[in-house]
Amino acid sequence: MKPHHHIDETTLVSYAAGALSEAFAVVVAAHLALCDECRKTLAQAENIGGHLMRLQAGVPLDDTAVARMLARLPEAGRETAQAGTPARHDPDVLPPALWPHFGPSYRALRWRWLGPGVHYIRGAAIDEDHLMLLRVAPGRCLPMHTHGGSELTMILRGAYDDSLGHFAPGDVADLDSDVEHQPVTAPGVPCVCVAATDAPLRFSGWIARTLQPLFRL
Amino acid sequence: MRFDVQRPHVLPLMARRMPQSATQAIDDPAYWSGKVRAVAVGRDVDAFIQVFSHFGPRLKRYLIGLNADDAQADELVQETMLKLWRRAELFDPARASVTTWLFRIARNLFLDRVRGQRHALARQEALDLIEGDDEVDGAEQLLDVARLERAIQGLPPPQARMLRMAYFEAKTHAQIAEELSLPLGTVKSSIRRSFARLKAAMGGCR
Repeated sequence: MKPHHHIDETTLVSYAAGALSEAFAVVVAAHLALCDECRKTLAQAENIGGHLMRLQAGVPLDDTAVARMLARLPEAGRETAQAGTPARHDPDVLPPALWPHFGPSYRALRWRWLGPGVHYIRGAAIDEDHLMLLRVAPGRCLPMHTHGGSELTMILRGAYDDSLGHFAPGDVADLDSDVEHQPVTAPGVPCVCVAATDAPLRFSGWIARTLQPLFRL
Repeated sequence: MRFDVQRPHVLPLMARRMPQSATQAIDDPAYWSGKVRAVAVGRDVDAFIQVFSHFGPRLKRYLIGLNADDAQADELVQETMLKLWRRAELFDPARASVTTWLFRIARNLFLDRVRGQRHALARQEALDLIEGDDEVDGAEQLLDVARLERAIQGLPPPQARMLRMAYFEAKTHAQIAEELSLPLGTVKSSIRRSFARLKAAMGGCR
């Protein structure tokens, strides 16, 4: 899978710096796992971080630091190889970055009704910002909405189109608060995506306003 | 959890350290890769302590900038270096320099221990297992450290400031915008410009 819509470079800088909330970091990690291009950009952002750190003057360690460090070495085991999980191409398996929050299996997901044709699941164990899975029926026009803050969405299944283009599995939409968009899901299969937001979505129009309380996840 | 606490700005732009040895070897990534190799092959405690003494204080400053307190920072420096000791065999100088490797380890430990992102370490380890394509693997080999350093020094002060806030105070771009009373778009485009300049300096990568 070669995604066509990528994570914004500034978001990758934030990820490299450790500045993203866990909700956003989860979506970034899910995309990185299948995008060589964004992994390459991240490696560059981390290099910059590493060298910025190297160029800084340090803060002195406490007086006992070396002694304490030496005392810990004899008991420290060695890690010689990292066990890799064999690649699985089971279509039921969610991206591993999502497992702690939604479990590993699509079939086992317990969807909650949110509105006509729209279901959602709120991610577990997320203390910072909001993480959710959304499932939207095929061929459906979502209400026009803007975001109070930022939103990062990755498509897992199905597809949608909006003014920014066609979004298929692996693609991410990395959107600021000033973007107003109206996604239309592609015909065929439901569109499933994982989304991180730092503020509730805001809809315009009366149906949307009716849905709004439900969306305050 | 938010990090809104006002912190004094870490340091004036890129304070240069004084040379610590007669040679300039400490600026050479290969020098430090060699030390880690010595730890891997011979469990060389002297080499390890040299790495610890050089990078420990820098890691500590980075961690304090991220909002760790002094004691947390000292402990995380120890844990970061302990990982280097334990994982020295896994260090691959073709994939990252020692400084970048340590930066990543310290960041991940900070996210896990201080910021309470319980899955940060597992997420990172899963990503580390993915085989990079050749371009990713070659990123550090192509890296011209002196050129990157010049590019960092050459950033216009406002751009440099925002980049430092992004990296050393772990502020989101929205937080930087708020603190500097600038539109978010201005902060993002500044960071994008800095990043483009530094990437260009990293040896012809995109």
